Amino acid sequence: MLELREIRVSYGRTEVVHGVDISVGRGEAVGMIGPNGAGKSSILRSICGLVRPSGGEAVFEHRVLTGLAPEQIARLGLAMVPEGRHVFKTLTVAENLRLGAHSDSEVAARIEPTLERFPILRERADQRADRLSGGEQQQLAIARALLGRPKLLILDEPSLGLAPKTIDLIYELLEALRDEGMTMLLVEQNAARTIAFSDRCVVLGAGRVRAQGSREELQRDPGVLRTYLGRQP
Amino acid sequence: MGMMNFAHGEFIMLAAYALYVFAGLPFPAAVASALLTGIAIALLAERVAFRPVRSADLSTQLVTSLAVAAILQNVVMVAVDARGQSVATPASLSESTTIGGISVPNLEFVTLGLTAIVLAGLGWLLYRTRTGLAMRAAAENFDMARLLGVRADRVIAISFAISGALAAAVGVLIVMQTGQVTPTMGLTPVLIGFVAVVIGGFGRMFGAVIGGLLLGALSSLLGAYLPDGLAPFRDAIVFTFPVLILIFRPHGLLGGEIGKARV
Amino acid sequence: MSGAGFRSRSSAAVSLLVPLALVAIVTLVGASGTPSFQGTVTLILCNLIVVLGLQVFVGNSGVYSFGQLGFATAGAYITALLTLPPAFALLQTPGLPPLIADAQLGPLLATLIAAAIAGLLAVVVGLPLMRTSTLAIPISTFAFLVVVYNVAANWDRVTGGSSGLVSIPTTTSVESAGLWAAAAVVLAIAFKWSASGYRLQATREDEVAARSIGIGVMRERLIAFGISGVLCGIGGALAVHQSGVLNPTTFYFGATVTTLTMLVVGGARSVLGAVVGAIAIATVNEMLRGLENGADLFGAVSVGPAPGLAAIGLGLILLATMIAMPHGLSGGREAGELPWIRRLGLPATALPPGTSGVVAGRTTGDPVEKGVLRAEGITLAFSGLRVLRDLDLELAPGEALGLIGPNGAGKTTLVNVLSGFQAPDSGAVTLDGVDVTGRTPTRLARDGLGRTFQASLPFPHLTALESVAVGAMGIGVGRRRAATVAADVLSRLNLLGQAALPAGSLTPAGQRLLGVARALATHPRYLLLDEPAAGLNEVECGELVQILRDVIEDFGCGILLIEHEMSIVMELCPRIQVLDDGATLCEGTPEEVQADPAVVEAYLGSAFLAAADA
Repeated sequence: MLELREIRVSYGRTEVVHGVDISVGRGEAVGMIGPNGAGKSSILRSICGLVRPSGGEAVFEHRVLTGLAPEQIARLGLAMVPEGRHVFKTLTVAENLRLGAHSDSEVAARIEPTLERFPILRERADQRADRLSGGEQQQLAIARALLGRPKLLILDEPSLGLAPKTIDLIYELLEALRDEGMTMLLVEQNAARTIAFSDRCVVLGAGRVRAQGSREELQRDPGVLRTYLGRQP
Repeated sequence: MGMMNFAHGEFIMLAAYALYVFAGLPFPAAVASALLTGIAIALLAERVAFRPVRSADLSTQLVTSLAVAAILQNVVMVAVDARGQSVATPASLSESTTIGGISVPNLEFVTLGLTAIVLAGLGWLLYRTRTGLAMRAAAENFDMARLLGVRADRVIAISFAISGALAAAVGVLIVMQTGQVTPTMGLTPVLIGFVAVVIGGFGRMFGAVIGGLLLGALSSLLGAYLPDGLAPFRDAIVFTFPVLILIFRPHGLLGGEIGKARV
Repeated sequence: MSGAGFRSRSSAAVSLLVPLALVAIVTLVGASGTPSFQGTVTLILCNLIVVLGLQVFVGNSGVYSFGQLGFATAGAYITALLTLPPAFALLQTPGLPPLIADAQLGPLLATLIAAAIAGLLAVVVGLPLMRTSTLAIPISTFAFLVVVYNVAANWDRVTGGSSGLVSIPTTTSVESAGLWAAAAVVLAIAFKWSASGYRLQATREDEVAARSIGIGVMRERLIAFGISGVLCGIGGALAVHQSGVLNPTTFYFGATVTTLTMLVVGGARSVLGAVVGAIAIATVNEMLRGLENGADLFGAVSVGPAPGLAAIGLGLILLATMIAMPHGLSGGREAGELPWIRRLGLPATALPPGTSGVVAGRTTGDPVEKGVLRAEGITLAFSGLRVLRDLDLELAPGEALGLIGPNGAGKTTLVNVLSGFQAPDSGAVTLDGVDVTGRTPTRLARDGLGRTFQASLPFPHLTALESVAVGAMGIGVGRRRAATVAADVLSRLNLLGQAALPAGSLTPAGQRLLGVARALATHPRYLLLDEPAAGLNEVECGELVQILRDVIEDFGCGILLIEHEMSIVMELCPRIQVLDDGATLCEGTPEEVQADPAVVEAYLGSAFLAAADA
């Protein structure tokens, strides 16, 4: 469904992603892990149009994404939950959700199932989003993204800054989504969870793919440990 | 949207001049033409001058707005005249109505009424419509709004159109108060606006309103109580006041983020 | 002013002579014309002086001030009042104290006094204004401009009110204006190349990094603001002695726009830009003014009288420049830095002799005392989430401590606390026994603490040598010594060959090393490095390890190294501290840490533990 070919990302003259190939098939849950500075967030930003890749291209269902504006990419069915959640703090929960779909009629049609899945949001519907806890904000961000009925859900470090129990809750939700067949691309610092969650994981280090595969394959791959701990087993 | 705009004063001025140009028409039609002028000029400026520098740093945007202001001001000077022109306002406005023994100039009613309508309309737009929702979201976090499918160009164009309409309202009010239009009339409202925003804190509409009210109150107070010898310096004192505030509270009286959140 | 090694004699000479030559040409051209032409050229030169005043502040600080022409107004009025013959003074300004009204000073003396007072005014006004935040300075200086206008227009008895003053002695000749302009050029360049000028430019390039090397942002801006006030005052004074009349609108909004246009179109960052811009725009202005009076274009199109056409033209030029060419005609470079000059083969820098093996000690010359950087019980929470939990850390000079851990563990936050960018909620940081918790980064830099940043952009528009030298200047080292120190540091890091290149043109690896070099130039006793190896390949990583080893040996400083590139940490650091979730997970030698199951689990989870042991 989504294919990244030879993606390069540069900030000014500094290239941080040196030609990366990643693919996400329909219904797959793919994880991206790696140390800080490996380029994970840069890749995500280049997919959803916030940054223009300096090389290579991203293709989504046979449409080239490179060069499109973020709002156009969103309307193609790509939903991104960025690092740090970024709910609109000055808007209420209900208003945040309303922005998730592209028209009010869509909102009306889809809001009920969404509120079923995220009951806490129903409770807090009229509260300003900055009153929510971190975990609730994360749920809001995900619910908001889901309202657009995305074909591909991208999450950038959903567990960042959350307490372990909350992370459990969030991952329960994500696992439910995955089991329903949602195509997902997940970036996380927490390698353990990501490997357990994903069908397939991509290990990034210093702007390149260092290892790829299912959990079993990765456990056997010495490159993974080396990327994180420099260890030569 | 977190950016200073020198050109705004010139939008005010141009709308006022529209009133002058169309003075022959019945008054409501003239006001409507002023409104349209304000909106049109604002949209034009956005498309031609501000969009190309949208991603540049704030200094560049600031100087761009200065350039636009200078151009607009001088276009009017060339097209019309460098001196002021007087504008005939409907006679009914200069009369007064007596309420409960107090004679209130009709103009005050109109000013209050217009302000109320504008504020109400703006409030309705921002808080009751989907477009307004998108604008508020974009003002808080432009990138995140785009990630949700909000069309950037459209939102920015609409906010410029709104500011053009607001400028037109201000322009019309000023003309009705003073009966005059001059090419440099846009300068003072802009300064007051900036200073008000600074006092009230960037990025908060209520802060700007409060700042404006504070400035107005200060100005009136000084007008009433300043000793005669100092009276001409009222404006100077009024404008020194916000600088003092900035020293002790560099982010404005009510605080606020300068610049916007980015994903 | 040879540049103290930052540039070669020839480069410096070119940078100085080209603008002077331009001034000379303009003066000579003016002197050869009709009296009215001379008057026009004189005013152009006066404008040039004001633009140079703008350049000194705006160009070097990167902050726009819309109030500088307020100082021109001040200078103009002061010199006018001092030189008005008493009879006229009585008529136009009855409110003047007799001492001033009766005085009729020579224009030279009056101009000097006006300049001094303008400068003083700039310092007085600048003291509060420079304390406001960077984005508020344009507004507050604009308010200042309006205040000056107001005072001038309303203080009838002293300034002649809105009708202004007339019959001011017209004594400025083209030649004298040219001389003043030349002096202004020399002053502007001298400031730009001075230690204070460099420090100010550093704040323009990267305010945060500048603070981290000990630069007082407000102080440097104030200095430039004052000098700018003097120059603008001179320009205003000379102009008024040319035209003979003065009123509050002479140096108000229109003049502000014009002079800013000149600066921006020429290129705000360089003196050459100011000169080129002033001359170019003034010429265009005159041509457009000619059109204003009505003319036949190419004998075909007739343009009617249109006052204001010139201003429209200038506005359009300014707009086009902002959109297409924001760095102006000169691109912000001085004459000696232009690419085609380098192609002529002129050397770009001349490094001071004896640069290798010189270890410049700290300014006090004290030997490195035994001390320690210690953090105890550091706790910090952001909006309810605890980021650092009761953390302890100890670093001694000559030691290398590695700090690793999964992301979000709090490593950078800890460094922010140690270097003064963030205050902890509880706990203390002591430097050699002194409690420094909560000290500003600027102060800590002078106390001997240096750091780098994850996103390290070392002052892109300064050369590599200058970027590093500013580090030394930040803690008060003079220019020449700073250049020596910088050259020494650069040679240690194998960057000497690129000393003359703009820092922004170095490779990413080079730029990261430059950030380290800059921190080293402050001769820290404790150096905190935040991921210096990001983006380096294997070979470069190996080199970095060797470089850091040499640094520890030669400089005797202690290094705290945050890194994800494990090969570097394991090789360089005999002791490693692992952070996880804001607390210390374990501490030990590289082997111990690598073998500790808790560490593997923190990074990769328990599933990997089993596999790793298998």
